[in-house]
Amino acid sequence: MIIRTRWALACAPVVSALMLSACTGQSSGSDEAVAVTSTNDTCEVSQNSAPAGTVTFSVTNTGTEATEFYVYEGDGTTIVGEVENVGPGLTRDLVATLTPGTYVTACNPGMNGEDLRAEFTATDAAPSSQPGAA
Amino acid sequence: MLANYLIGLREGLEAALVMGILVAYLVRTQRRDLLPSLWVGVGAAAALSLGLGAALTLGPRSLSFTAQEAIGGSLGILAVGLITWMIFWMGKTARYLKRHLEDGLERAIAVGKGAILALAFIAVGREGLETALFLWAGIEAAGSTAAPITGAVLGLGTAAALGMLIYRGAVRINLRVFFQWTGVFLIVVAAGVLSYGVRDLQEAGILPGLGALAFDVSDTITPGSVTGTLLKGIFNISPSTTIVEAVAWVTYIVPTMWLFVRMAFAQAPQRSSNQAVPTSA
Repeated sequence: MIIRTRWALACAPVVSALMLSACTGQSSGSDEAVAVTSTNDTCEVSQNSAPAGTVTFSVTNTGTEATEFYVYEGDGTTIVGEVENVGPGLTRDLVATLTPGTYVTACNPGMNGEDLRAEFTATDAAPSSQPGAA
Repeated sequence: MLANYLIGLREGLEAALVMGILVAYLVRTQRRDLLPSLWVGVGAAAALSLGLGAALTLGPRSLSFTAQEAIGGSLGILAVGLITWMIFWMGKTARYLKRHLEDGLERAIAVGKGAILALAFIAVGREGLETALFLWAGIEAAGSTAAPITGAVLGLGTAAALGMLIYRGAVRINLRVFFQWTGVFLIVVAAGVLSYGVRDLQEAGILPGLGALAFDVSDTITPGSVTGTLLKGIFNISPSTTIVEAVAWVTYIVPTMWLFVRMAFAQAPQRSSNQAVPTSA
């Protein structure tokens, strides 16, 4: 019983430390922010490219069903990042670290497997941010 | 509001049911003295999750997707370990009850405060961060519309109420039947938590095989529907399940269920009629 208690007491701080250390240490200054608007049947990404690095996709759900947002590798199957539980009226952020290349963004309103995809490019040089066409 | 309500319900349901069963167990085995430890664990998990959620929502730092999935996955697998331990600890009690060995019962339920605290902490904390981030998004949106946060809080409240109902029901039924069937129920829950944890690790790229689906019925049972919410919220059954998830589920549930049933149901005395509840498994 003593062993169990000690083990359990040791467990909580370890978990807390794990959670805290998992925060990424990006400064907000170098972040590229991309706005995503998801409705029941559309998925508007404010720009289709961004400089490689840390990109924050701010996903706003203006529809009536819960949605989720994914960023896939160019193959369309390997997940780079995902934010789920974006309920109607909510805005949630997906922070992804993108190396130069082609990606696929996808909203999944209703979470029924029929997602709305678009291409997204992370550009090589990273000078000032250059928003592309919507 | 309905969609946000269902998300809140789903995120809170499993923790509420596990807590309801655990509280009922402690009350029925006259271990009310352990209840404060349980509530400390619940409170600490809720406070840590909400605090981290606030820091990530309002502060300059953010959590990478991989980190969040890795946390979710590891906590899930840790939760499976603790819930399994709880199941067998209850099963042992059922066995002693059968023999009417009072001192045996005493020994079987001897458990530390720390263990109860850890169990409550992990059961609540596992989905805590995702729930907190969801709630903070609702609070941020409250400036323009209060509907999302209202729905989310009502959903979590409903989950808590269902946990309370489980407790109410559990304190009425035959004690031995209670241990047996809550054990069976919790094994199914734990198997779901395990497969969900495995999926988190697959999504984080730590485990392979994300694209290889065992089945996909997400067209029929959408995760956003009431059925999908309950299946996911209680049993963590996802309409599209990968092969690795399915293998983990079966690998866990078959030996665990066999060992548990052998321990808690074997050589039932005459008085126990063992009415099988087919929906439980």
